[in-house]
Amino acid sequence: MHETNKEWLPGFDKKFAELTHQMVKDLEKCLQCGKCTGQCPAAKLSSYNPREIIRDLRMGNVDKVISSHELWLCFFCSGCYAVCPRDINFPFAVSMLRYAALAQGYGWEEVKEIKDPYAQDYYDTGLSVNVNERNLGVRKEIAKNSGTDGRIETVRRKMGLPPKRKISQRAMSEIRFIADATGMTDLFKEIDKKVAKEKSWNYGSPADLVEVRKGPNQKFIDVEDEEKERIS
Amino acid sequence: MARQQVLEKTKVSDRMFLFQPCVGSNKYPGLITSATEFFKKLGIELVTSDDQTCCGGFLTFTNVAQPTSTMPAVARNIAVAEEMGLDILTLCNGCHTFLTEFSHFMNDRPPVKNVVNVILSMIGREYKGSQDIYHSLEIIYKLKEKIRKNVTRSLSGMRFATHYGCHYLNGFKKTALDDPHMPTIMEELIEAMGGEIAEYGENRTCCGTGLTQIIINKETLSLPHTKMKLDNLNAAEPDAVVVVCPYCLAQIDRMQQKLNYRGSGEYKVPVIHLVQLVGLALGVDVVKLGFDAHAISFKNFLKKFESVQAKAEVVDG
Repeated sequence: MHETNKEWLPGFDKKFAELTHQMVKDLEKCLQCGKCTGQCPAAKLSSYNPREIIRDLRMGNVDKVISSHELWLCFFCSGCYAVCPRDINFPFAVSMLRYAALAQGYGWEEVKEIKDPYAQDYYDTGLSVNVNERNLGVRKEIAKNSGTDGRIETVRRKMGLPPKRKISQRAMSEIRFIADATGMTDLFKEIDKKVAKEKSWNYGSPADLVEVRKGPNQKFIDVEDEEKERIS
Repeated sequence: MARQQVLEKTKVSDRMFLFQPCVGSNKYPGLITSATEFFKKLGIELVTSDDQTCCGGFLTFTNVAQPTSTMPAVARNIAVAEEMGLDILTLCNGCHTFLTEFSHFMNDRPPVKNVVNVILSMIGREYKGSQDIYHSLEIIYKLKEKIRKNVTRSLSGMRFATHYGCHYLNGFKKTALDDPHMPTIMEELIEAMGGEIAEYGENRTCCGTGLTQIIINKETLSLPHTKMKLDNLNAAEPDAVVVVCPYCLAQIDRMQQKLNYRGSGEYKVPVIHLVQLVGLALGVDVVKLGFDAHAISFKNFLKKFESVQAKAEVVDG
């Protein structure tokens, strides 16, 4: 069923006027040749189909696209842009459509998973990757390879580096000022409010680095795998 | 743009700003040390700053912060390098993409740039757009002949598979150094250092990180994709796979551990960043290359490398 509404989402194009007009212009150039989908890593493994999404948008089925699960399957590899004979930057359109989806109340679960821990780490430490290793299996391998306790601080010290990369106090106050002044912090709070989900992982402590029997072989416990089993 | 034009535009300065990647700081510190060390050998000083944070662009394309928030965050990082009067050298496809894309966006749109500068003025900085942003691959390729002359430990006898990653070539199909479908720059560099190429069919496919897919659809998309790539890669039997992005490095390195743990096969290909490989060939101390931080052991790789070196010495002697 096609929707009757051929307009782009109300307010969406106004809010991101400069960005979305380019996106609308871009998507209207599409030839429906399907090269994008042919090379797409997500299309190989799922029902994701860039060509179909563009077609839907052009037919006016905006709500279908915005509310779809498929919108959250893009790899952002830009392979579709690389092969596109019309130079449509589709991953960029996906990013914009995801903002439109959030505005309509879809996709907050997905965003929450990225906010914790990555975006929160950015706000707290200035880097979006934490110095602690979540996967204790990897820590065990690093411990074995380096002859240390497998912590990155120890490996860094062994290389003659300070245990942590230094981020200046000034830099921290600056990025927090930008986050607070431009609504990043508010968006983080909104994500936490909308998806009240306890974090399902931890970084482990040195005491966690013990051998645990699991499966046929004696192996280290893998926090992420362990968590999956408990949920299922 | 033809390769020659890009190379002409690429300026190599005596001092450059090393934009430190998050993964390169907190997971693979060898990237930063080996880059600093081997560039020093080539007469280029890489300068870092404690004022530089995560680029910030990542947050917009994962939809946790609107472009209005990350635009000033990215501009602030560029401004740090601008204040020092240095061109930026990135080690990560992500940092390179976000810094380049955001700075183009601001440079092409004076109103956006002005708004960003209103925010930056409150923290005593200004974004001018005066400095160039380079991927380390561009600078290393520009220095190819110099590297060839300075090789102290030849890579001959070693077979390397390459992985370019998505964002440098695909995202910049008009301005990157090479064609996104059939790139050869990394192969040329490896051959310049004496190495051999292990070709495989899935060279140009994504590592599987998929920006957010490793987080939100790990089991259904990310892992199966990495497994498919690794199976194809293993058939080519390389001694190591060379990457130019720390995210690809983390994905290919760490997912091998995960697949091994789950009993989905036996994966043991070491993953090495191009700056570590050039460091190895130019004689940087192996401890400084940071192989200790990798999940897949370099023991067999280094053993083979040393035996090849010993043989070469006998021939030379």
